[in-house]
Amino acid sequence: MSHPKLANIFNEDEKKVDWHDKALWFVRHKRDLSAHKVKGWETLREFGHQIKAHTLANLDQYLIEFEKNALSNGIEVHWATNAEEHNKIVHRILKECQAKKVVKSKSMLTEECHLNPFLEERGIEVIDTDLGERIVQLAKESPSHIVLPAIHKNRHEVDDLFQQHLNTKPCNGDPQYLTQKARKHLREKFINADAAITGVNFAIAETGGFVVCTNEGNADMGAHLAPVHIACMGMEKLIPKQDHLGVFLRLLARSATGQPITTYSSHFKTPAKGLKMHIVIVDNGRSEQLGKPDFRASLHCIRCGACMNTCPIYRRSGGHSYNYTIPGPIGSILSPGKDLKKHSSLPFASTLCGSCSDVCPVKIDIHSQLYKWRQIITKEMKQPMLKRKSMKIMGSLFSNPTQFNRFAKFCRWALRNLPKSILYAKPNVWGKSRELPKGPKMSFTEWHQNRENTKRMKNNG
Amino acid sequence: MDSRSQILTKIKANKPEPMDLLHIDPSIFDEGLDVVPAFTKTLEAVGGNVCPIDSMEAVHSKLKTLLPNARFTHSTLENTHEINTFSFDAIERPHDLEDLDILMVKSDLAVAENGAVWIDDSKFPIRVLPFITKHLVFVIEEKAIVPYMHQAYEKIRDFNFGVFISGPSKTADIEQALVIGAQGALSLTVLLLTADTTP
Ligand code: SF4
Repeated sequence: MSHPKLANIFNEDEKKVDWHDKALWFVRHKRDLSAHKVKGWETLREFGHQIKAHTLANLDQYLIEFEKNALSNGIEVHWATNAEEHNKIVHRILKECQAKKVVKSKSMLTEECHLNPFLEERGIEVIDTDLGERIVQLAKESPSHIVLPAIHKNRHEVDDLFQQHLNTKPCNGDPQYLTQKARKHLREKFINADAAITGVNFAIAETGGFVVCTNEGNADMGAHLAPVHIACMGMEKLIPKQDHLGVFLRLLARSATGQPITTYSSHFKTPAKGLKMHIVIVDNGRSEQLGKPDFRASLHCIRCGACMNTCPIYRRSGGHSYNYTIPGPIGSILSPGKDLKKHSSLPFASTLCGSCSDVCPVKIDIHSQLYKWRQIITKEMKQPMLKRKSMKIMGSLFSNPTQFNRFAKFCRWALRNLPKSILYAKPNVWGKSRELPKGPKMSFTEWHQNRENTKRMKNNG
Repeated sequence: MDSRSQILTKIKANKPEPMDLLHIDPSIFDEGLDVVPAFTKTLEAVGGNVCPIDSMEAVHSKLKTLLPNARFTHSTLENTHEINTFSFDAIERPHDLEDLDILMVKSDLAVAENGAVWIDDSKFPIRVLPFITKHLVFVIEEKAIVPYMHQAYEKIRDFNFGVFISGPSKTADIEQALVIGAQGALSLTVLLLTADTTP
């Protein structure tokens, strides 16, 4: 289904949309307060951008350096060209150590690869341990936001889910009680896990180590208790030096939630004595995207979610309306690179206001990339009749000033005089749940000319 | 061709022109932070407690007043044996630590701008300790506090596992309501050894 259709479904519950919109705007606001406190914030963003651009320009070299150092740290390194290979590698490792119960902390990559169903079909229990992810897992849904996976659920829905699956008492959605119960439930899972899977926020070529950031401590509870730790990373997670973490850890949490840093920033370098550690490096379309000069900067993304929180479309259409693992503005520039046809409506799910580019901690030109995808899509794919025709007409109108002025005059008159039944007729999508403005008598040009004339007359007189 | 060579070949063919790695001079971010009050304020804002103490001897009594009901406690500091209710040698699997009430660890590095405290596994013998404990207590000398992350990384060199911890574990995944105490520690306290008494 296209984005507008799925957005319509989300918009059936108006109260929920309002809450969603406000809640995310509040997170954006916290980001502002936090960012403005940092001296040199803009320079910090520029550094983030530069380091990522430099890394991508030498990505093969840095991956080789990373692998070498990781191996000498005692970590096993695996390479996967696509999602399927990634899943097979993870499954093979789990089979080798006879793991039946796996705990997983948040990793958008494993979502992208659909690892959970792959393992479950092969008789392995996978428990998502981030509270938000556990909630959507129990609801048999997918995360609707990359940092706040359950932002589309209200407390009463969580209450019901927990009663059903964790045997909790009805609590009128008390977050304190529900979180406590989840803690107990997850503790048991951590203690009994045979293996832990985590994502990777940053991998450091210089040291062969990697960093995982969480607020709940779930990645560490999993990774340190289970005998085997598998870390899955997209290859763009690499940075050259440990010192660069100083830049990225300052940017990440402030942009994501407004916190000065996540509660835990865990630096893994060697496996603990007697335990095993694996890293799976995944391509899955990234090297392809790297070859597109207009779109390669999308690989700078550090998955902070700021572009989602600020996006007026995302806030009012919800993450599921994008029907892609990474929703929001960044998802809309990543997804067409993977499947242009399937995701062709996403670059249009934007007002092109540019707010996403303004908040992005690594300065990705998100809105210009959205615009560029639109051009490609319009060229390569047949657009709906109405859109095609109206675009043609608009094109010829805008290219001829006399015609345009005449048409604009008619429109202003029409807005004042035509009956509602015509103005809000079906083909006018701009009139859908929107109040059209009252047509002014004068155009801006006329108003401006009048003003200049009066001024001149005054000066002369 | 195996996957590794496939990936590397494709990257080589598709990567952009090389560009220099910039040099970062952290002094451009310097705003003359007064590190001790800044650290205290930030850590409190993220849900941690800061208690100034004037000597190492005060650690024990402070702990008793802060968390009087703790039963299963351990400190990795020197000369704090009376705090330890068990020995790590008796722990066969990390899972046996599930009932740990308090873990106390000395840290040599903390960051003013974000209230984060760095510890690495040279300070604690079992990696899960700072996460599985109910209450986490750090002992820090004032002089261990640096202003920003850039200065922190200048000091971090050799470790096998290390972590920055800023406040107790938390979540806001249920309707954005902040709850302290998710999967990790329920509380975090820093016992801050004041400068004039630092040996
Ligand atoms: S594109 Fe930028 S703002 Fe959006 S998630 Fe990625 S890093 Fe954050």
